[in-house]
Amino acid sequence: MSDGDRLTRPLTPEPGKKLGDESGPSRPEVRKPGGGNELLRRMKRVDPDQAKRYRQRSGE
Amino acid sequence: MSDRILAGIETEYGIYLEGRGAEDQVDDSMALVRDYPGECFVGWDYRYESPRSDLRGFKLERLAVDPEDAKFDQGRAHGKDHEVRADRVLPNGARFYNDHGHPEYSTPECWSLDELALHDCAGETVVHRAAQAHAAASGHSIRIYKNNTDFHGASYGTHESYLVPRRLGFEKLYPALLPMLVVRQILTGAGKVGSEQGARCDFQLSQRADFFSDAANAETLFRRPIFNTRDEPHADPRDWIRLHVICGDANMIPRCTARKVGLVKLALQLCINDTAPIWKIADPVRAFQAISRDSSYGFQVPLEGRNWTTGHEILESYFAAAEATLDLDADARWTIQNSRSILEALGKDPPTVQSQVDWAAKRGMLEHFMEEEGIGWNDPSLQAFDLEYHNVDPDESLHAALREMGSVAPNPSAKELIPRITECFEPTRAVARGAAVARFRDYLRAVSWSSLTFEIEGQYVELELRPDVDYPSELREIRDVGTFIEAIKERMA
Repeated sequence: MSDGDRLTRPLTPEPGKKLGDESGPSRPEVRKPGGGNELLRRMKRVDPDQAKRYRQRSGE
Repeated sequence: MSDRILAGIETEYGIYLEGRGAEDQVDDSMALVRDYPGECFVGWDYRYESPRSDLRGFKLERLAVDPEDAKFDQGRAHGKDHEVRADRVLPNGARFYNDHGHPEYSTPECWSLDELALHDCAGETVVHRAAQAHAAASGHSIRIYKNNTDFHGASYGTHESYLVPRRLGFEKLYPALLPMLVVRQILTGAGKVGSEQGARCDFQLSQRADFFSDAANAETLFRRPIFNTRDEPHADPRDWIRLHVICGDANMIPRCTARKVGLVKLALQLCINDTAPIWKIADPVRAFQAISRDSSYGFQVPLEGRNWTTGHEILESYFAAAEATLDLDADARWTIQNSRSILEALGKDPPTVQSQVDWAAKRGMLEHFMEEEGIGWNDPSLQAFDLEYHNVDPDESLHAALREMGSVAPNPSAKELIPRITECFEPTRAVARGAAVARFRDYLRAVSWSSLTFEIEGQYVELELRPDVDYPSELREIRDVGTFIEAIKERMA
C-alpha cells in the first residue's frame, strides 16, 4: 500500500469521473418490512411530539 | 491476527422522565443508577482518571463545555464530579454510573467481537432494569434511549476503547485510523432523521456527524473531534495507550456493534504492522459530514492535491492490506467478509443491508411508514419514530418490532445475555474485577479499571490488574480473600 499512485486512483474503473460529477450511483430501492402489523401498531402508538419534547444534557 | 486487542464500549443513554426536564437530568440519572436492583459494589477509585491528558504530550487546563448546556446548571449547586456521580461496579466487571446527565454503561473489557457485542447488549438490560426500579420508586414514567442525539443540538456518546502499545504514539495512530473513522459510518451508522447543524437534510447515516468540528483534539463535550487524543490508558502508561474512539454511534443491531469494533481493530492491526493504507483526506470533518448526508451512496471523499476517492475504496484498501499483510484471525476474517458483502449489497440488495446496518433498517422502516400514510420527510412524527427505534424497552422499541418481524438480525437469546449481567466469560481482567465484586465485597474498598484495593485486618492491599494477562474463570471459585489476593499477585509476577 505504499504506491502513491494507488492512493488517488479508484480500483474500479470509472474513467473520467471527477469530484463534482453529478452522475453518482443511484439510491437503492428501500425494502418494505414484511408482515408489518406489529411495527405499524407500535408506530401508531408513538406520540408524534415525543422527539419535540425530548431534551437532553450534552454528554461526552 | 498476531496481536489481540482488548476493547470495551461505554454508552451514555438518553433518559426521559415524564414531568421532568433537562435541568433535572443529573439528579435523575444519579437516582436511576442508585436504584439498580442487581448485585454491585459502590466505591469507584477516581485516582487514575486523567481526561485532560493529550496523546500529543501535553495536558489541557480544562475541557471545553457546551455553553448552551451549561445554562441548565445555572442556579444549581452541583459539586465536584465525584459528588454528582453514582458509581456501581457489577459482578461481570462492568461499570454502571451516571456521567453527568446520562446513565452510562461501560462493558467489561473483551477480546472477541462476539463477546463485546453480547456485553453491549446486556448493558441495555442493566439500564432497563434500573429504569424499571427507578420508575417504581419515583412514580415517574421513564423511557431510556440507546442513541446519541436529542434532535435539538445536544449529543451524548457511545465510546469505544482499544488498548494498544504505547510505542505507536499519535504519529502512527492518527494517519492509520483517521480514514477508517471517517468512512466506517457507511457500515455502522445508526441513522438520523434531519440535521442539527449545517445544511438541512432529510436523513443521514450518522447520529454524531453534525457534532464534529475538529479532526483531532482531546475534547469530548464541545468542539468534538473525529480522532480523540485523550490519553488515559487505564493501565501502565509506559506500556499502553487506550485509543478512545468517540465518533461512533450507538448500535441496536449487535452485528453492527461487532462490525464497528472489528473495523477499528483491523486498522489498528495494520498500524501495529506498519501496513495501514495512507489516505490524505483534504478535510476530514467535511468528508465525515458529507458521507453522512450522501443519499446517492457514492461517498466521494476529496483528497489533498485536488484528487478524490470513495468511501468504498478506502474501506477496500484496509481489507486488501489486511489480507496481504496480516495473519488474520476469525474476527478479522468475519469483519472483512461481512463488510464486503454489505458494500456489495448496497444499491443492489436492500434487505441484506437493512437486516444488518442500523441506518438502513431505520430508513427502510420510515419509508415504509411514509408510503403507508402518505406523508413526507417533513412530518415531525419521523423524528419520534427515529427516537423510538432506540427505546431499550423491548415492548416499546421499534427496533425490537423489526426484530420480531425478522427484518433485522436477531438479538442474542436471553440464555446468552442474562448470564453476562453477572459474569464475564473471557479471561480478561474483568474476571478478577467481577470476582472481587461477587465474592469479596466485604473486603473491597476501591475498584478502578486497573486496580483493586482491599482492606484486610486494617491494612490496605492494592492489586494491579495488568491488561495483558489471562485471568481464568477459576478465580471466581476462590472463597478466601487471602487466596484470591495471592492468586492475582502470582499472575502479575
